Amino acid sequence: MQENKAESKEIVREEMAYEPYTIAMGPQHPATHGVLKLDLELDGETILNCTPTVGFLHRGVEKLAENLSYAQTLPLTDRLDYIASMANNVAYSIAVEKLLGIEVPMRAKYIRTIVMEMARLTGHLLWLATHALDIGAMTVFLYCFRERENLLDMFEEICGARLTTSYTCVGGVRQDVTGHFLESLHAFTEDFPSKIAEYETLIDKNRIWLKRTQGVGVVSAEDAVSLGLTGPTLRGSGVDYDVRKHMPYDAYPYVDFEVPIGSKGDVYDRYRCRMEEMHQSNSIIRQCIEALPKGPICAPDAPDLVMPYGVQKKVAADATFASGVIKLMRDNEHYIDGDVYVSAEVPKGELGFYFVSDGRGVPYRMHIRSPSYIHIGALPFMCKGQMVADVIAIIGSVDVVLGECDR
Amino acid sequence: MKIKYDTRKNLAERIFLLEILKGLGLTLKRLFSKSVTIQYPKERKKLFPGFRGKHALIRDPNTKESRCVACMRCATVCPARCISIRFSKDEKTQARKVESYEIDALRCIFCGYCEEVCPVNAVVLTEEYEYSNYTREPFHFDMERLLKNWDEFVEKNKIDPEQYRNPFLRPRGRSLGELPSGKRIDVPEEWTLEGQVIWKDGRAVSAKEVVS
Repeated sequence: MQENKAESKEIVREEMAYEPYTIAMGPQHPATHGVLKLDLELDGETILNCTPTVGFLHRGVEKLAENLSYAQTLPLTDRLDYIASMANNVAYSIAVEKLLGIEVPMRAKYIRTIVMEMARLTGHLLWLATHALDIGAMTVFLYCFRERENLLDMFEEICGARLTTSYTCVGGVRQDVTGHFLESLHAFTEDFPSKIAEYETLIDKNRIWLKRTQGVGVVSAEDAVSLGLTGPTLRGSGVDYDVRKHMPYDAYPYVDFEVPIGSKGDVYDRYRCRMEEMHQSNSIIRQCIEALPKGPICAPDAPDLVMPYGVQKKVAADATFASGVIKLMRDNEHYIDGDVYVSAEVPKGELGFYFVSDGRGVPYRMHIRSPSYIHIGALPFMCKGQMVADVIAIIGSVDVVLGECDR
Repeated sequence: MKIKYDTRKNLAERIFLLEILKGLGLTLKRLFSKSVTIQYPKERKKLFPGFRGKHALIRDPNTKESRCVACMRCATVCPARCISIRFSKDEKTQARKVESYEIDALRCIFCGYCEEVCPVNAVVLTEEYEYSNYTREPFHFDMERLLKNWDEFVEKNKIDPEQYRNPFLRPRGRSLGELPSGKRIDVPEEWTLEGQVIWKDGRAVSAKEVVS
């Protein structure tokens, strides 16, 4: 009897022999988090091969930067990872500061750390919201946006915009914080752990959630390193690498926090990693508020918005009118030439800025090492052998933003 | 820090769907809590001062004209190059007269650099965000239109133009020496470098108080 069954199965297989077929997922698919297109080569529902196509959102930020002064490029960095634009602002600013050799005042460092962690919270909240929505848990989506709204309101208070913040400047921050901001943020941090507990109540042990995430998209530690993954995507695989710990910038050396590390490297571990990171961010924000020192918010030798470098600020201030200012802006030979690479830990991973300067007021070349681009490169590896429905969970778990990927 | 978690379920949890019931209980609890939704067209959120919205040229209360002196700083610093200014020069005094001041709001990226660099506080981004339209033409603001934007803003929000304070007119936390004379306006103490806030004993206090 059993033999018979096996035989008939064989026959059916032979009769139905077919070529693997290809379907295009995206670029308008709502669960690809933007305009990502994946060409999936399928055998039934199993993925044989997956080819990502990127570049639908290419705006040429790197090329634009070659014609704009360092201050003028800053608003463009808002549009990279538009979910957590504050983090991009900070990463860009510390890169330019290293190029120009500017030391940022303590107060600005603390403020930057606060806003960077707030950006991490907004990023992770939106990640959790959309990731859960993709997998089918809609309530989490609504609850996450409730807290994200509070954070965006606070962004609006300090910089005048909710999404395209442009908050930092080279040498510090553009606006000081207010008492109302500090108090509302402190109240938020007191409340937030209970909110995280709410999300966890909904999905942490939910059997559908576990079925969709555990053992899906597994990346071993060696593979994760060789694929160039960073951020929670890498730490979910059990590799201890965090730019905040290993190459500290701003006020991170002065605060006490831990880097959560997973072990299995599947979608569930990456989810746990980000949830723990939210707790850590919350505690960093609290420490920074309590230790916020007084003092100036911008370095005295930092270049102004219009005046390209600090040493000439006085000269530029005397040359009140256009010709003088434009002349200073365009024909300057005072920047240090050379190249510099600085990275920062943004919610998605390690965001790096690479500048090649030939001494002028504009960079000769700017390169952005965007984590999303590299994470999309790892998708074929993760998707191979999985089911079509798992692709959605995997894209969600590596947390890609196409604005940053295509820049 | 290695994350520890246990997703195994005991018999009761497996049979009675406890984790799902817990989730449902949470949503049921939330059903009776206060709603956070703002019913937008009926209620509006109050914006914070310094929200970067619709452009305007401040009408000076004394001269009833714009304060712009055609220094070209805003046009120079604008990353999107959406500001264009034409001016003429007086032969004798070399004084500048603004011939036209145009902002293309569809090109603008609302970074607020123009209002921050303006040495006489002429251009400002007002806290006004509802100005959608069907054609492109209404978004091309010329000088007349920009001054009208200011009048409309003042009228709609019932503010005193003399008392209007925006963090971009005098950036918070900057010392007076860093600012051109036109930007040295009176602001709430919290916005000045001396009166900046720090955290003490569970509340935000002025740094001044802590010293004394």
